[in-house]
Amino acid sequence: MRIVTWILVAAGLVLAGVGVSSAVGQAGSGAQPWGNELSDNFVFIKALPFVLGLGVAVGLLMARTYGAKVRSDGAIRRWSRGTVVGHAVLTLGFILALPTGMWQYLGGILDVNLPIPLYLFYRVHYIGASIVLFAATAFVSYLSMTGDRSLLVPRGQWGRHLLGLAYELPEKVRTPYAKLLRVDLTQPRPPTGQFTFYERVVEFPSWSILLVLITVTGLIKAGRYLLPVPGTVLWLSSTLHVAAMVAIVVKLLDHLRYTLPRWPLVASITSGWVNERYARLRHPGWAQVSGGTAAGRRANGESSGSAAAGALGGSDT
Amino acid sequence: MGLLGLLWSLANLVVAYFFVTGAFVAKTAAKEGILAQLSLLLGGVLIAGFAILLARECARMLTSADASGTA
Repeated sequence: MRIVTWILVAAGLVLAGVGVSSAVGQAGSGAQPWGNELSDNFVFIKALPFVLGLGVAVGLLMARTYGAKVRSDGAIRRWSRGTVVGHAVLTLGFILALPTGMWQYLGGILDVNLPIPLYLFYRVHYIGASIVLFAATAFVSYLSMTGDRSLLVPRGQWGRHLLGLAYELPEKVRTPYAKLLRVDLTQPRPPTGQFTFYERVVEFPSWSILLVLITVTGLIKAGRYLLPVPGTVLWLSSTLHVAAMVAIVVKLLDHLRYTLPRWPLVASITSGWVNERYARLRHPGWAQVSGGTAAGRRANGESSGSAAAGALGGSDT
Repeated sequence: MGLLGLLWSLANLVVAYFFVTGAFVAKTAAKEGILAQLSLLLGGVLIAGFAILLARECARMLTSADASGTA
C-alpha cells in the first residue's frame, strides 16, 4: 500500500510538472496578446487542477504518518509528521501570499507605486496562493483518509468546551463571557485534553473558515477571465477576499499571541512531540489517556499507537 | 522568539497606521464611499489592537520565563 501511495505522489509530481510547464510555455510563447499580469493569471488558473491533484496525492502520503505514539522518554506525539510538514508548507504559502496581497490592496488604496513592477507582486501572490491551495487540499485528503476529527468539538460537547474555555480566559473576560453564553461557572473546570479548549473552540474553527473564505473568493477572482462571473459575484468576492485577508492578519497575530508563550506547543508543530511533563501539567486529560495506553504498550513492548488512544482523544493529528 | 514577536507586532502596527490614516485621507477610499472608509478604519483598529496584545505578551515573555495559563 505504501508503494502505491508513493507511485501516486510521483505521478502527481510528474503531471504537475508537465501541467505547469505547458501553461508557462503557452503564456510565454507570444501567441496571445496578454500582458504580464494576465499571463500569470492564466498560468495560475491552468496549473491549479494539477496542483490540487498533487495535493490529494500528498494527503494520502501524509495519512501514512498518522497514529498515536509515545517515545521511550515519555514524550507524546501531538502532531503526525504529515501535519508538521503540511503546516510548514501552509506557512510558506502565507508568507508569500499575505504581504503581496496586502501590498496590492494598500498600494491601490494609498495610490503608491514601488519601483518594483506590480505584476511581480501578483506573480509571488499566485505562487503563494498555489502553495496554500496545495496544502489545504493535502489536509482535506489527509483528514478524509484518517477520519480524524480531534480538532473539532465533538457532538454534544459544546457545553463542556465553552465551560473549559471560560477557565482558560483571563479573569477580567471570564465573567462577561460566561454571562453572555450562559456558562455555569459553579461547574468544575474540565481537564484539558490533547488540544486546549481555546484551540478547539476558537483557533481551529476560525482558521478553517478563513481558509475556505480566502480560497473560494480568490478562485472566483482568478477564474474570471476563463469563466463568465457576474459583476455582483465578482464585487462580493473581491470584498470578501480583502476582508478575509485582514481577518487572517488579525488571526495570525492572535495565533502568535496564544502559541508563543506556550513554547512546547510551538516546538511540537516542528517536531510533532510534546514532553511528558508539559503534557501532564497543561494537558492532563490527554496525558492520562496517552500515558495509560503508553504504559500498557511499553509493558507489551510496543512503540506505536492503538485505536483506543484515538477513541479517547489521545491520537495525534 | 519574544523579540521576533515584538518585531512582527511593530510591522503590523505600521500596517494598521496605513489602514487608519487611509480611512481619512486616501482618495480611492473616499471615492468608494463611507463603507470602504469604515472598513479600513475597522481593519486598522483590529490589527492595531491584536498587535498590541501580541506585543504585550512578547514583552511579558522577555521579562519572565513563566508561560501563561490563560487564553
